[in-house]
Amino acid sequence: MKKTTRLGVVAASAALVVSGLTTGTASAAPTACSGVIGIVAPLTGGVAFIGKEQQGFAQLAVADYNAKNGTTFTTKDYDTQLDAAQASTQAPNIVANKEILGVMGPAGSQEVLAIGGLLGANDIALVSPSATRTSLTAGTFPNFYRPIPNDGLQGPGDANYMVKTLKAKEIVVIEEKTAYGTGLAKEVVATLKALKVKVTNIAVNEKNADYAAVVTRVSKTTNFVFVTFQDAAKSEQVAQELIKQKKKAVVFGSDGSDQPTFKTPGTYVSAFAPDVNGLPVAAAVVAAYKATYKAEVTTFGPPAYVAAQVIVEAAGRACTAGKPNDRAAVLAEIKKTNIKQTIMGNALSFTATGDVKGGRFYIFKTQADGKRKLVG
Amino acid sequence: MSYLGQQLVNGLTLGGVYALIALGYTLVYGVLQILNFAHGDVYMVGAFIGFFVMVGLGGPLAPSVPVAIMVLIMFLVAMLGTGLLGIVIERFAYRPLRNSTRIAPLISALGVSILLQNAALLLFSANIRTYDTSSYIPSTLGFSFADITIDGVRLFVLVLSIALMFGLARWVNTTQVGRAMRAIAYDRDAAVMMGIDVDKVIRWTFFVSAALAGAAGVMNGLLLRGVSNGMGLVPGLKGFTAAVIGGIGSIPGAMLGGLLLGVVESLAQGYLSTNFSDTITFALLIVVMLLKPNGLLGKRAIVKA
Repeated sequence: MKKTTRLGVVAASAALVVSGLTTGTASAAPTACSGVIGIVAPLTGGVAFIGKEQQGFAQLAVADYNAKNGTTFTTKDYDTQLDAAQASTQAPNIVANKEILGVMGPAGSQEVLAIGGLLGANDIALVSPSATRTSLTAGTFPNFYRPIPNDGLQGPGDANYMVKTLKAKEIVVIEEKTAYGTGLAKEVVATLKALKVKVTNIAVNEKNADYAAVVTRVSKTTNFVFVTFQDAAKSEQVAQELIKQKKKAVVFGSDGSDQPTFKTPGTYVSAFAPDVNGLPVAAAVVAAYKATYKAEVTTFGPPAYVAAQVIVEAAGRACTAGKPNDRAAVLAEIKKTNIKQTIMGNALSFTATGDVKGGRFYIFKTQADGKRKLVG
Repeated sequence: MSYLGQQLVNGLTLGGVYALIALGYTLVYGVLQILNFAHGDVYMVGAFIGFFVMVGLGGPLAPSVPVAIMVLIMFLVAMLGTGLLGIVIERFAYRPLRNSTRIAPLISALGVSILLQNAALLLFSANIRTYDTSSYIPSTLGFSFADITIDGVRLFVLVLSIALMFGLARWVNTTQVGRAMRAIAYDRDAAVMMGIDVDKVIRWTFFVSAALAGAAGVMNGLLLRGVSNGMGLVPGLKGFTAAVIGGIGSIPGAMLGGLLLGVVESLAQGYLSTNFSDTITFALLIVVMLLKPNGLLGKRAIVKA
């Protein structure tokens, strides 16, 4: 991290403390407490803007905790490019760094699948701000937690919304062949079939660049094309291609499409977090982020703040309990997380398998002016 | 029938872009017998240049000049910029290795490819840019015939790619530089003895091949929207495959290979499997190589006999 950025984070954090923002429930940790929170995110590559925002919010969370408690926790970055192979090469480095107490990340479900086992064997907690594949919390990775809902909620939620609220009769699901896309498509298709609507599943390769041929396969009577891309430019391309081929179907994007490049009016997108811009509880953090990083806040950043907050508060509690720099103790403390109100406006505690209790997805519709309106 | 027709339109447009990339491979191979694996990344640079020209002219939402002029300038600047980049690549990555082993320029090409990708990452960041074409060329623009729709951008790309292909063929066949290029491809030593400035012709070869890649990059931006530092890899491979299918070194072969590859890919996606369309496409390469090892039109045009 550049020195100027570090100073900016500290200054912003001091401002947060002065403003009296209290979102956590951690007991004060002694000033001697220290350790490193790993930030595992796509810091370069095609979706680096997601990783950069997650990184910035995670750094703010740690700095805020330090400013409040006088501790000296720090962060260390590990770039995965949202790629499972890249994540696998980073995992041994994380394990080898004995100062790492827990990891904020990874961003993608495929990366969790790649490194969750190795990190779990070394008692390193993973708290992901954006990995939503349902099976990640099925018991394989007891060290995995997420402050966001899973696709078990998103898939049925989106499917129900399309059918029950928007009265869809015929839906095409474009399943991108990734751990995320396949898992989500399975949830959506199963729900749609249960709802007795006509559903066609089209599997596409992640490397595919031209979706004209896929759109040609969409019938003229199709109401919605549900897409499971993690690159919103692809979702936008499908939306525009539907218009070009004069088809009435509307694109409904999953949380992977929740990026500014997906902006065709009339389209829908679901998100695992609310738009915190305008939420009073998030105002100070949002202002601090904008001031420090000179960037807009999307739905990817705030969950990263909460994920890092979960880890650093657990590390603080473990330290207070006389177990500083003890990964297993941090992992045990994460299970006990109980935050009364996060910057996303909700209370946070985890189920026995690591999912957020009472989580929900948010559905937005893009308006004629390109702005999104919460509709579900 | 309209379904087949629509898939053919999709495939021909895609194939036109592949053909332009394939022509770059085939031109360089025809003259120097080297595989310029940095070509896909030159295509990426072209897409970026087109993007920044568009931004410089006011951006997609408020272009400061008429849209047709803006698109024309995007193409011209991208082709000029990548053409000059091609000359630089030849001068520093290939010319010093011209008389070395055959593997040396191949390794150098891979090095240039990685260099360009990382330079783009450093200069432009990893963010995916979009041309946002629908903001200045409405998606509803176009026409339908017998339930087959071709939108304005797709039609423009198809026509322009065909025009560039035939323009290149004419240039190679009728100009002095083009004739010199064919002479060098046929027998470089004899060409030197006849007084042909080989370095100059090779510079022209790289300029033209890179300029075509630049045009293909802008077409990609207009058609497919996403522009990023890693975007050149797959189209570069497809372009290379098209050149090999057509017969590397053959200009008509590159055109045919590109169009054929685009159509096969589109039909594979439309009728067989979207997920395995690349598998099917590359299987075609294997079949063609088994049946026609020199490609469909190989070793007849500018390939050294």
